[in-house]
Amino acid sequence: MKISLNWLKEYLGNIKDNDELISRLTSMGLEVDSVSKQKRDTVIDIDMTPNRADCLSVMGIARDLSPIYKKKVLMPKISKLSNKTKSHVKRVNKKISTAYSILVIKDFDNSLITPKNIADRLELCGISQINFIVDVLNYVMLEIGQPMHVFDKDKLNGALDVRFARKGEKINALDGNQYTLTADIPVISDSNGAQAIAGVIGSDNSSVDTNTSSIIIESAFFNQNLIRKSAKKYRLQTESSYRFERGVDPYLNNLALGRVMHIVDQYSQVKNHMFNSIVSKPISTHLGKYIKMDISYFERILGVKLSNKFIINTLSYLGFNPIIVKNKLKVSVPSHRFDISIAEDIVEEVARVYGYNNFTEIPLPPTTLSKSKISKNNTSKYLELLSSQGYHEVITYSFLPKDSQKLFMSNTSKIEVLNPISEDKSEMRVNMINGLLKTAKYNISRQNSDIKIFEIGKTYKKHKDNSVSEENVLAGMISGVNYPLNLKQFQRKLDFYDLKGDLMSIFQNLSFNQSEKISYLSNSCQAVISQGRKPVGLCGEPSLSLYKQFGVKNKIFYFEIYIDLLKLNQKVTYEPISIYPKIYRDLTLLFDSKISSGDIIKKIQRKSFNYMINSRISDIFYNKNDFGNDKKSMTLELVFQDYSRTLQDDDVNTQISMVLDFLEKEFNAVLRK
Amino acid sequence: MPKEYSSLISELREKLDSCTSEHDLANIKSHYLGKKGVISNEFLKLRAASSEERKILGINLNTLKDEAQNLIANKMSKLSSAEDSNEKIDISLPGSNIRLGSRHPVSLTINRIINILGSYGFETVDGFEIEDEFHNFDALNIPDSHPARDMHDTFYVSDSKLLRTHTSSVQIRSMLSSSPPIRIMTPGKVYRSDSDPTHSPMFHQIEGLCIDEDINFCHLKSLLTAFISELFGRDMDIRFRPSYFPFTEPSAELDIKFNGKWLEVLGCGMVHPNVLSNVKIDYKKYSGFAFGLGIERLAMLQYGITDLRMFYENDISFLSQFEGLK
Repeated sequence: MKISLNWLKEYLGNIKDNDELISRLTSMGLEVDSVSKQKRDTVIDIDMTPNRADCLSVMGIARDLSPIYKKKVLMPKISKLSNKTKSHVKRVNKKISTAYSILVIKDFDNSLITPKNIADRLELCGISQINFIVDVLNYVMLEIGQPMHVFDKDKLNGALDVRFARKGEKINALDGNQYTLTADIPVISDSNGAQAIAGVIGSDNSSVDTNTSSIIIESAFFNQNLIRKSAKKYRLQTESSYRFERGVDPYLNNLALGRVMHIVDQYSQVKNHMFNSIVSKPISTHLGKYIKMDISYFERILGVKLSNKFIINTLSYLGFNPIIVKNKLKVSVPSHRFDISIAEDIVEEVARVYGYNNFTEIPLPPTTLSKSKISKNNTSKYLELLSSQGYHEVITYSFLPKDSQKLFMSNTSKIEVLNPISEDKSEMRVNMINGLLKTAKYNISRQNSDIKIFEIGKTYKKHKDNSVSEENVLAGMISGVNYPLNLKQFQRKLDFYDLKGDLMSIFQNLSFNQSEKISYLSNSCQAVISQGRKPVGLCGEPSLSLYKQFGVKNKIFYFEIYIDLLKLNQKVTYEPISIYPKIYRDLTLLFDSKISSGDIIKKIQRKSFNYMINSRISDIFYNKNDFGNDKKSMTLELVFQDYSRTLQDDDVNTQISMVLDFLEKEFNAVLRK
Repeated sequence: MPKEYSSLISELREKLDSCTSEHDLANIKSHYLGKKGVISNEFLKLRAASSEERKILGINLNTLKDEAQNLIANKMSKLSSAEDSNEKIDISLPGSNIRLGSRHPVSLTINRIINILGSYGFETVDGFEIEDEFHNFDALNIPDSHPARDMHDTFYVSDSKLLRTHTSSVQIRSMLSSSPPIRIMTPGKVYRSDSDPTHSPMFHQIEGLCIDEDINFCHLKSLLTAFISELFGRDMDIRFRPSYFPFTEPSAELDIKFNGKWLEVLGCGMVHPNVLSNVKIDYKKYSGFAFGLGIERLAMLQYGITDLRMFYENDISFLSQFEGLK
């Protein structure tokens, strides 16, 4: 909200230091967004929080500053309203308005040029000029905070009626649009129909122009919630609705008309006016409200003891009526403060004036929480390890383009955003691979084709009973080469085993089992990752259709791990080290080519041969001519060691022949000579 | 020196001249100076010599031995220096590649904050991103009719479910499921229907909550002042000013001065008694404070990033600038 500094100073009296005044606005919670000099005045743009409806006027802001300068706010000059009239308003529905007044002026000349001082200030405050009377009403609204509306009396048919709209009733509003109303929308009508959406916008049919010679000015207090509904329904935020829905002082409407009359009197020769206050018993939840509290409450919340005198003075300047009796404070809430209802609100009022920056700092006492309450299940170690293995962490949007997840699951299990910001962010991800593939594609197209990335985030699913669930997933992707070309290292393309190796080195006890069930991964390269018997993730190469969907031609290998399922506690217990030498033996055997190497090692280990401390596959070799298509040659490296003595050849030879027997029985393996 | 010795030496010289490796040199050395070497054998003659002869023979033999040793040692140093120069390395060539990856600047910022707040006893709590209106709004003292709901442009996924607009919903769940004292921090993604160079429909927040007996505004100020200087590694010019949040009263905003301009970085305040009642905490016995801040904004300040969109484009040229940071 923009206000003029000169105007503000008229209400505060003689203040010399402009910079000080501006910084005080911010320290009182009326945050100054910008300050600019214009037309021998200064425009201050204030970022008003929605609770401070009372500060949507020059007078309101001056009142908020009054305890700082210890000056009572000056009141505007007003004309006395007389010549009461009974006519012109037929009925006021009290659900809509509980304070409704009109000012009728006949023999009025609206062709007057708006006086320069009024026009200038409207311009500074960003309000466009319309015509004389409308400009005066806007000026008074900016000055004291009461929105008003003016009808051309000659364009009205019969008396005004403040009522709810009839269903389907139409209004041609001043913004040039026609709105079709519903029965919950309050309107001001004449016998022709709605002439204004109450408190929001007037009708073109009864609007004033420069030929207007007879006017009815409405100044009212409208039900906040009703105004809010109308404004929201028709997406109409006007200067008027903005104030009404936040809360206009219900006792302001007659003062505003008096102020209008005073200004009109100054610039035009009005012979007489008629005034009618039809209803004047404002009803609002905060009116007549008292707050009682212990004086000690200030210290409890703020941590600092404030003097009773300071509390009383501050609240008095702000329009409260404070009384302290025996350490109890009793205050009435002023009619302009819709935001005050509990003791904490009163504390904040006093604290604002004391100045938040003037409070001391008291160190937070040490935590009294027990250590067991502090959780330790922390995945961040694994993310650090991934990044030290060359993976870059990425963050992609949780929402994906419409229909981009067809490959993953049926439409019932995805969660759609009902009001997406755009089509490409309209459904929640059920899987991480989309975001990562998009990131890979983005980088490949920017000449970054060596990719090692990971993301940790949630996936979202809807179940048959319409409940939703979220799962924490760690996913990653590799593509490109192992190293940039260099003198020392052999460059090659990254493959599945690079991905598997990275994962094995970071997580404990993972096993990889061949799979064919994952529809979005390639049939020839996909695995389920398990920890113990529990599946905790999957990995492999994207399916052809997924490659196609993202237009990616480079080979990619992907993994995802359901981090919530993973057992991360890694307890280390020392195992004794043998001081006796190890004996290494290599065995080269022919196996059926369908037998998986992991299976062989697993079975050898499960059999636990004496002294054998390790076994691994050190070479695999295929040769069509020598042993045909259905056989492969594998070299096993077996390591033997004892904890109590140096092993002799005989010890090992016995075990080796047992291994050979076992492999022959189990796998039909033949030793190659 | 007797003739036979001189010829022995010249024979040795010839052999050394044609010798090119340390291995050959070792053979030559043992041939002459080894236990059963030519020169060692000559020493055996001392036994048979008379004491007169022994004196002269001794001197001659020692001269021979010294000469041979010198020649071999010289050759040795020549050979080894020659082998050295063969292997002289170019230190300026790059070392073997160890490619480090990186954490995302958003995660780096969250981690720094978690580490600082953790040292004040705050523990991390994770929560739902798809929330209901009760936990995201109502329990936080933001009723449906409240204009404050306009401050949150909310994404809905069904009539009753929405994408959380702040991580305060996690605080509500924590307060409902545990009792004071409470000290938690809730980092995570939040969603608001807003998109321009300074707003993203998805961004990250971290909020802190401290509930105990006798917690007051001065504690809040103290913690946040310390937090900001620890985060930036130096004392910053900061200010607290009154603001408005429906879930805190009094409410404040913390600004930091950057290049002569005040920037809003953090909202905070004393937890509103209505919020405490909503989660069944006795507000007459307990009080507390809460605060929240946007991560991206802070990361932009810390790393000098000017375009918010960089965070979600995930260009590896951008990400790799954060290599090795923790």
